[in-house]
Amino acid sequence: MRRTRIALVLGVLVALVAIACGQGPEGGSDRVASAGVLRVGTEGTYAPFSFHDGTTGALSGYDIDVARAVGDKLGVRTEFVETPWDSIFAALESDRFDVVANQVTITPERQAKYDLSKPYAVGEGVIVTRANDDSIKSVKDLAGKTTAQSVTSNWADVARQAGAKVEAVEGFTQAITLLNQGRVDATVNDSIAVFAYLATTNDTSVKIAAKTGQRSEQAFAARKGSGLLPGLNRAIDELGADGTLAKISQKYLKADASGATPQKGAAAPAPSTIKLILDNLWPMAKATITATIPLTAISFVIGLVIALGVALARMSSNRPLSAVARVYISIIRGTPLLVQLFLIFYALPELGLKIDPFPAAIIAFSLNVGGYAAEIIRSAISSIPKGQWEAAQTIGMKYPTTLRRIILPQASRVAVPPLSNTLISLVKDTSLASTILVTELLRTAQVAAAPTFEFFAMYGTAAAYYWVVCLALSFGQGRVEHRLERYVAR
Amino acid sequence: MSVPTLVTVADVTKSFGSNAVLKGVSFDVPTGSVTTIIGPSGSGKTTVLRSLNALERPDTGVITIGDVRVDFSTDIPETEFYRFRAQSGMVFQGHNLFPHKTVLQNVIEGPVIVQRRAVAEARADAVELLRSVGLEGKQDQYPYQLSGGQQQRVGIARALALKPKLMLFDEPTSALDPELVGEVLAVIKDLATQGWTMVIVTHEIRFAQQVADQVLFTDGGVVLESGPPSDVIGSPQQERTQQFLRRILDPL
Repeated sequence: MRRTRIALVLGVLVALVAIACGQGPEGGSDRVASAGVLRVGTEGTYAPFSFHDGTTGALSGYDIDVARAVGDKLGVRTEFVETPWDSIFAALESDRFDVVANQVTITPERQAKYDLSKPYAVGEGVIVTRANDDSIKSVKDLAGKTTAQSVTSNWADVARQAGAKVEAVEGFTQAITLLNQGRVDATVNDSIAVFAYLATTNDTSVKIAAKTGQRSEQAFAARKGSGLLPGLNRAIDELGADGTLAKISQKYLKADASGATPQKGAAAPAPSTIKLILDNLWPMAKATITATIPLTAISFVIGLVIALGVALARMSSNRPLSAVARVYISIIRGTPLLVQLFLIFYALPELGLKIDPFPAAIIAFSLNVGGYAAEIIRSAISSIPKGQWEAAQTIGMKYPTTLRRIILPQASRVAVPPLSNTLISLVKDTSLASTILVTELLRTAQVAAAPTFEFFAMYGTAAAYYWVVCLALSFGQGRVEHRLERYVAR
Repeated sequence: MSVPTLVTVADVTKSFGSNAVLKGVSFDVPTGSVTTIIGPSGSGKTTVLRSLNALERPDTGVITIGDVRVDFSTDIPETEFYRFRAQSGMVFQGHNLFPHKTVLQNVIEGPVIVQRRAVAEARADAVELLRSVGLEGKQDQYPYQLSGGQQQRVGIARALALKPKLMLFDEPTSALDPELVGEVLAVIKDLATQGWTMVIVTHEIRFAQQVADQVLFTDGGVVLESGPPSDVIGSPQQERTQQFLRRILDPL
């Protein structure tokens, strides 16, 4: 199956490194033979395929055992290099190791870029539902249901084609979480992933409800033209024939996923980068207009209202009120925005409060803006001379009127530049909403980038969109400042 | 002497922390009269004035302005303070005009927003008021576009626009360049001849002498000497008053 833990920033780095190292060294088979070592890149954090045994601490797992067995067949030592998945191909390109053994799924795109061996693990698409849900018995039953899928996976397409609504998630575990929380009805994935999940967690709240008919094949990946393929394929054939693969599969998955007859998919020509960008210009613009901008605007307005209330509470002579405001500001400013998002979206459901992605993002961003802008507003109000309050008092104004007509208009002039900073930060912060299933600009870019490996092009395009929005806001800031300064000597 | 009394101040005290600023101040202000308060810095004269509209709230004592009587030693509801404050208009040393509003907007803010008078009417009154303080044609300018003396005259117009029973001036010329003092004092003198009841804290002794019906000399938190200017300024009885006047009138 295709591992899909895509880190936002690392993706760009991978692309850059991959470009830099595109012309990697070749003649790997000679090097492996002469050094007597097969260097294997693997994650080491991906149970039960590549992980450190809880008791012994030794690197073990399905892929590890297969790689060791292959090394034995080739008559060389096996040396493992642990690398995060997100940069594993970049590391392969830069000759940090010879092959990747990390459940790399055979896809046309990958086949175009890498030497892929025969499969050593074969799975098939399965539909996972809650154990007590009997409404889904075949792919057809997915129509109208909601599924949680890694956007970068082919299973998302399977679900979509069956007529299901697809919620984008980061990985299988998150999909299962959403399934258990009742946020989605099903998730389509590879049987191997499901076996692995069930074998590691003993979770009985979910079940395999149906099969989709698609196969997925996992293989070793080497650099293009490495010359390693004949040896690898021969070794895999032998391990399949003598039952070693089946044994390894039973050991780690409690099921046979070794596969019998490898299938070859013809490599599809990869679309050009330019075409990919052009194809995604509108979807990304749409995501900006329908998600990023509304998210920013609504959160900012609500945030300012919260901020004004908190600022006034903080300045109040009522001690408990002031203390509450202080604590609020301290918590908001003292914890990461990403954690606040996760708390509201993933943790609150544990307390029985389930909020949809978009409102959850609005809540988190509004609270965050509230905390930061409160201090800006407080200092702006404090900067207005005491005489203005007194003059308003002497003409008979009460506190709210004074605030509204005398103090805030003047304070806003002081507050606009720092508040503009907050707003511009917020535009970019909305990208964090991609982690809680909001299909905003960055998420759209991720979806486009992941299956094509065009990280640089897609994230670059997203960056350009963010920049344009922020440019427009900076221009607006200039206009507002100019307007507010009409009563100030220049 | 059957002139009715507008303001009665009875035994007002005020401390800031351990510093007793007013130690029992009492005086009356007859309707239509001008009272000036003179005295050295720190003698409590500004605090007396600010007590008259409760910008400073005395600790004890009773102040009556018109039909509003406030006993500061009791708990006073906030609404009572608004009623009390509505009796007077205040002109500040530093004018405290609203910088984000034009001259006209400054003047009509109180009548329109607080007194809920019709905008057209308030505007007509304001234009007339501005003319009377010599600011014809300045109504659409912002305060920063005016000289210090003009700003102070807008401050006076803003206070007058509320049609208060009592006008309070807190050192209205102290922050001005010397050549601008005259135009502001002229406006205040003019108000005196129109019959406004005024209490003025000032350092301008000659002005106090000319305009006042009653002069209060404060020192050490009490009214040390009071009476018509011919007495208090012309022939002061108290040693401290004599010293103070000598220093002010003949600093060399």
